[in-house]
Amino acid sequence: MLVKSKKTTEQPIDWKKIRAKIWQDRFMYLMILPVVIYFIIFRYIPMGWLRVAFYDFKILRGFEGSEFVGLDNFRLFLSNPAFMQILWNTVWLNILNLAFVFTAPIIFAILLNELSRHRFKRVVQTISYLPHFLSTVVVVSMISTFLSPSVGFLNRIISTLGGNSIHFLGEPQYFRTIMVVSSIWQGIGWGSIVYLSALTSIDQEQYEAAVVDGANRFQQILHVTIPGIRNTIIVLLILQIGSLLSVGFERVWLLQNAQNLRVSEVLSTYTFRIGMQNFNYSLGSAVGLFNGIIGFGLVLFSNHMSKRYSETSLM
Amino acid sequence: MSIVNKNSKGEKIFESINLILMIILCAAFLYPVLNVLAISLSDSAPILRGEVTFFPKQLNFSGYRDIFANQHLWIAYGNTIFVATVGCLLGLGMTCLAAYPMAFGNFYGKKLYTFLILFTMWFSGGLIPTFLMMNRLNLVNSHWALIFNFMCSPFHVIILKSFFQSIPYALIESAKLDGANDFVCMWKIVLPLSKPALATIALWIVVAHWNDFLGPLMYLTERDKFTLQVVLNDIVLQASGAMYGMADAVQAGDGSLIIPQQVQNAVIFVSMLPMLAIYPFVQKYFVKGVMIGSVKG
Repeated sequence: MLVKSKKTTEQPIDWKKIRAKIWQDRFMYLMILPVVIYFIIFRYIPMGWLRVAFYDFKILRGFEGSEFVGLDNFRLFLSNPAFMQILWNTVWLNILNLAFVFTAPIIFAILLNELSRHRFKRVVQTISYLPHFLSTVVVVSMISTFLSPSVGFLNRIISTLGGNSIHFLGEPQYFRTIMVVSSIWQGIGWGSIVYLSALTSIDQEQYEAAVVDGANRFQQILHVTIPGIRNTIIVLLILQIGSLLSVGFERVWLLQNAQNLRVSEVLSTYTFRIGMQNFNYSLGSAVGLFNGIIGFGLVLFSNHMSKRYSETSLM
Repeated sequence: MSIVNKNSKGEKIFESINLILMIILCAAFLYPVLNVLAISLSDSAPILRGEVTFFPKQLNFSGYRDIFANQHLWIAYGNTIFVATVGCLLGLGMTCLAAYPMAFGNFYGKKLYTFLILFTMWFSGGLIPTFLMMNRLNLVNSHWALIFNFMCSPFHVIILKSFFQSIPYALIESAKLDGANDFVCMWKIVLPLSKPALATIALWIVVAHWNDFLGPLMYLTERDKFTLQVVLNDIVLQASGAMYGMADAVQAGDGSLIIPQQVQNAVIFVSMLPMLAIYPFVQKYFVKGVMIGSVKG
């Protein structure tokens, strides 16, 4: 083992030692070589390709044959009033996610934790993970069956109660509700894993002390359970803020139609539409870069915040 | 868990309400899946009257007969299995190679290397630059674009690294004294001790490939290359079954083809069956994996 020498005097760099160290670690370097190559080719070179955002890029002519246009692409979409609506749709969906999709697993975990039958608890857990393993295409097709105006379960209930059946997927005002409810359905079990593990670390003595003080079950949840997982909640909440501008592409894309496009277009689907469908690579990349930079800022902010929290309380 | 006072009336009520709520939730989780299975096994008449819910009505296997005879679906199935298997093996290998030096290495450039990987969690080239890159590499309309697309996720690297770090370093040190190099140490000592973490990550990669829709949507252009999710989208959501020569497809009034509901749902069921069959068995591993990832990530 190498013993690190403390800096005593200004020593000249010992090249021999450095070379010996590098030779000693040669297998480590050999190991990271394919990884580094992979990351450079598939992650970093694409970042270089982001400069198409500053060109009027023609794919057949390459950069040499394309005109450099500076910030024109950014001006183009930022001055478009429709873009503000898209930005708003993205942020609003994320706020709704924070309010409902984020909180649902917490409540679910607490209720699950209160079950006294352990076998039953395990069965519920296993079943609750199921939707997480379904693809978005499958989930959306389930949604469209469930909400179908002719044979859908929901509309049958409505018509049994005497109402008129509603074409939920075609009405813009239902789009966000459908997004939120289906996200909860798909993510509540999976999301609860973290909280359930945090709940197991709460000291049972705290509950005993609460009982001595005369706390009933609800008060125990309020004063012992929730404070016990508060830090986990805060850290995950802060991390969630980091993804305020990203909405999963697939579900939105598959639920989109001509009627709800005004409320359902978000940044990721807009990027795809411009870039991949209209082949305007430059404008698409510009929107993507805009999204990426703001997202990066949000992530830095949330990482900073979560570190402060996890240092003081979580670890 | 809270301590229950069995005699209190309020707590008994809470207990029963909670129990009922959980049963309702389970029914809600299961209903869409059972409904797919029920419709796929039912006759058209009850389906069109909207009577099929949890159980099939007027048992009918024509849906499955149709799709078993349809070669396009099985080509797509084969493509998906290829992408998921190769993607999982290569991805797992790459993730191990990436995580081991992070956990045990003490080499020059380790900080830079770690940063290189972590940075991609926060910022990426995005959809279109990545597409242009794949296009330049001639990977458009190739399954390799999908495999390379998520071969090595930084999240997985971090999770595996944390897991590796729970292995006592003394084990590796003593092996090194016996002349083993890092590859041997990883293969003979670290990996056998990391089976739960490896199983978790393998499952995640397989599920991600199996359920991926955006990747195939972007990179695959030819019908014979399509994966399950693309075919599923075409058949079920776009109702463009003509492309796949769906037998029994009915000409609708406006000239479009309508594929019978039981065929659509048979396709859905067949596509999701492998994932539903695997996950309960690896559940105990992935729960562990999620915990490590959330606490240390």
